[in-house]
Amino acid sequence: MPRLLNIPTSKPNCGSVWVAFVLLGISALNTQAKIVLTVPQQVRLSPNFFTQQLTISWFGGEATTFDLIILRTEFNETVFYNTVPAVVNQDGGRHQWTWTSVEPLECTSLSVKIRSRDGITKSEWSEPQILEGRDLPSNSGHQMYPQDRVVPVGANTTFCCIVEEGKEFRELLYGSTKMNVKRLSRRSYATTAVNQNLSGRTGTNVICRFKDLYKLAGSVVFVGYPPLPTNFECITHDLTSAVCSWDRGRDTNLYGKRKTRYSINKRDCEVSKCVLPQWDGNWTLVAVNPLGQYSLTYSAELLHRVVPVAPDKLAGTTHPWNATVQWQWPYDSYSTLALVCQVELASRNILNVSGVGVRSVFLPHLHPNTKYRVRVRCASQNHFFKWGNWSKEFHFTTRSSAPEAPDVWMWMNRDNTVRVMWKPLTQWQSHGVLTGYQVTLWNLEENEKQTSNLSPKDNSLNLTGWASITGDKKAIATVKAKNTKGMSQPSSIMLGVIDDKSVPLARTIYSSSGFPLSWQHDDNRTCSYLVEWCEAVCTPDCTVDWIRLDAGSTHVSIKDSIVKFQPGVRYNFSLYECPSTSPVLIQRWQGYIQELPRFTSVNLEINQQYCDVVLSWEEIPLAGRGGFLKGYKVYVNNFSNFTLLADLSPKIRTYTVKDLPTSTYEFIVKAYGSAGQDTVSTATIRLKQCGM
Amino acid sequence: MAGTRTRGTSRTTAAKVANLAALVQYECTNLLVLYRKRENLPEDVASDRLVFVSPPSSQLDTRSKLLSLHSALDKCHSLLERAIALEKEDLGGDETGEYENGRRRLKDQLLNLLRSTEELLKAAGGQTVRSLDGSEPYRPSNVFHQKLWVYSVFTEVKLWSETAVAVLQELQSDAAKEPSKRSKRSTRSTRR
Repeated sequence: MPRLLNIPTSKPNCGSVWVAFVLLGISALNTQAKIVLTVPQQVRLSPNFFTQQLTISWFGGEATTFDLIILRTEFNETVFYNTVPAVVNQDGGRHQWTWTSVEPLECTSLSVKIRSRDGITKSEWSEPQILEGRDLPSNSGHQMYPQDRVVPVGANTTFCCIVEEGKEFRELLYGSTKMNVKRLSRRSYATTAVNQNLSGRTGTNVICRFKDLYKLAGSVVFVGYPPLPTNFECITHDLTSAVCSWDRGRDTNLYGKRKTRYSINKRDCEVSKCVLPQWDGNWTLVAVNPLGQYSLTYSAELLHRVVPVAPDKLAGTTHPWNATVQWQWPYDSYSTLALVCQVELASRNILNVSGVGVRSVFLPHLHPNTKYRVRVRCASQNHFFKWGNWSKEFHFTTRSSAPEAPDVWMWMNRDNTVRVMWKPLTQWQSHGVLTGYQVTLWNLEENEKQTSNLSPKDNSLNLTGWASITGDKKAIATVKAKNTKGMSQPSSIMLGVIDDKSVPLARTIYSSSGFPLSWQHDDNRTCSYLVEWCEAVCTPDCTVDWIRLDAGSTHVSIKDSIVKFQPGVRYNFSLYECPSTSPVLIQRWQGYIQELPRFTSVNLEINQQYCDVVLSWEEIPLAGRGGFLKGYKVYVNNFSNFTLLADLSPKIRTYTVKDLPTSTYEFIVKAYGSAGQDTVSTATIRLKQCGM
Repeated sequence: MAGTRTRGTSRTTAAKVANLAALVQYECTNLLVLYRKRENLPEDVASDRLVFVSPPSSQLDTRSKLLSLHSALDKCHSLLERAIALEKEDLGGDETGEYENGRRRLKDQLLNLLRSTEELLKAAGGQTVRSLDGSEPYRPSNVFHQKLWVYSVFTEVKLWSETAVAVLQELQSDAAKEPSKRSKRSTRSTRR
């Protein structure tokens, strides 16, 4: 009962009435505040062990807020205590609220109490409602929770180990890491793995060990990622069905029963490809694993997504200089489809061919008796999307054909007999397997022909059986190459003595790019040229090489070829004009790649004439000169002194020493070139008394 | 004469099968090491017995020893097949990994040993007995339980391969002693 207030007032009757009304109002309010809140009734617990959620429901009367306390029963330890707004379930009229436990609900028994609250007014607590854990004595074995959990990378997971009755807890291991534990009850111990990393392929084992017991309790946790596929698209190969594909994206690290499952438009699919019987035009790919779901959509028209399969069963019709390659299509629908195809020839050329249902290609500009590899791929011509796969490689060899005409030249031997030579045909020029060469000699004056058949290994023919060519005798040598398909065009050369006496002879100095040769071109002359070279001392059957040059050429550099350039060896180079019709020698050169100070010895004659000594020596043969001869030096050896007597030009091979006193003398002749000198002769003479 | 030939064959074959058993033992030992390492299992982890066959006692004759051994190896093979199937189904598997290759080799070698033991048993006049065990194949309640069970299977295979080596070596030395016994018997019969 509120105390009445004595409020002094100077006003007589109005003030008293006012106070009375106030007092009446306060009394009414106090009566309402004294409402007794009902204790929540019929508290019911519904656990979801998988989600670790506990749904608590009760009859709570008119109250809208409630205090809720959850304790671990055994240790009477508070796990949750808060005031919660509870929703009334319209069906049963029960209040309901859901709590999520950090630890699995199996770990230990939980007690739940509820009281109503209205401001500072609270009801009594309800009777504790107990959710039994698995650590009761009636479950005497060891256990571990949760089991087989799948969590995302970075999650935190709390595990609990329930020790076997009568045994003692030893340790809890997450993988190989010993964990800190919290005791929840007499038998139950918990630990939390924080910010979990990817598990191994078979999961991470969480193991509970006990003292004096070799048995283990354990659980396996799988840590991975939800699916995240990319690049979803659908194409058609046969213009009927859809082939949808995607990339799996990031590895989820979940395998076996936990691997990602795919479906397209609610049809199950294999890992990264799906064939659907008809073209829907719109597709939704759904990828699901225990950690989540991800969807991708794709839309397209049929004719805009045609990707032809690889052409099949390639075959060919071949000729020496071209071929036709055909292929087949497995689908009839291609016969009305405009296609563009790429034909790749021997990894070099790509040819395009197009047409409705195209199934062949003509390959021009081929070469006889040559192996080719070809493969084909195609795409839709009208709505190009992407190329189809390449076909298997098709190998074919073009047919043989008559060979090319050989390059023919001639060489005049010292005895004026002629050697007809030709460059051996390469495989490319042979157009097939060479069977030999045919050489025909045609004596123009006497109109006689003589034919010789030679093996494919031969590349020259000495005309020793034929009378030496002298004077005006005219003859033509013709060479044809032969293979299984026939003979080449003839290569002919006019045979005749070539006058070289009036032809200028120059020297050529070797450099890294070869022997440089240059000449003046006469605009009146329209013939081509030929440069021939060989060793200056050309024994019979020496190696001769040549090169043909176009009309108008003025220079060439000759490098190593079948004629192998050696130091100390002189080489001759000859330039001919109109080599195929009537060769004319127009210039000559000689050169060494490197001159050596080497000259072979020669005989030295020494004679006394009165009081003079006459020396004469032989010419050094060309083969004995390691360089160009610049001259001779004559020395006399008198009492171990070598004295130079004369420095002579290379044309002079005699020297007279005058008025020598009677004695014995040794004379030495040295030849010299730009690389140095070399002794070629020595002779000794004992002078007789003279001048009497 | 025929007995002489059988003696020579038995000695050779028992030696050969003993080598097969040693190979299984070796493979299984390696696999156990790989498995423990992969699963972070302690060295002293206990395994459960899964094959309940009396070990072949030396008191038994050759045929009985081989029958007992064959029965145990047969059960081991079935267990190993079941273990492999469970691992593939639940955990997927990179079939080219070191563990998977070792597991496949062990299965092939165990099958080879089983068949060779059967041949030996037949040569000794015995016959294999079909298992009448109609119990359901093992189904794990959770993955960790499955892993411990697979470990127990490997341990069982190792144990029985070691037993096979011991039994077959014993049979080998028994067969070596037999010629001297036989010659004494023939002498006795001549005397009669």
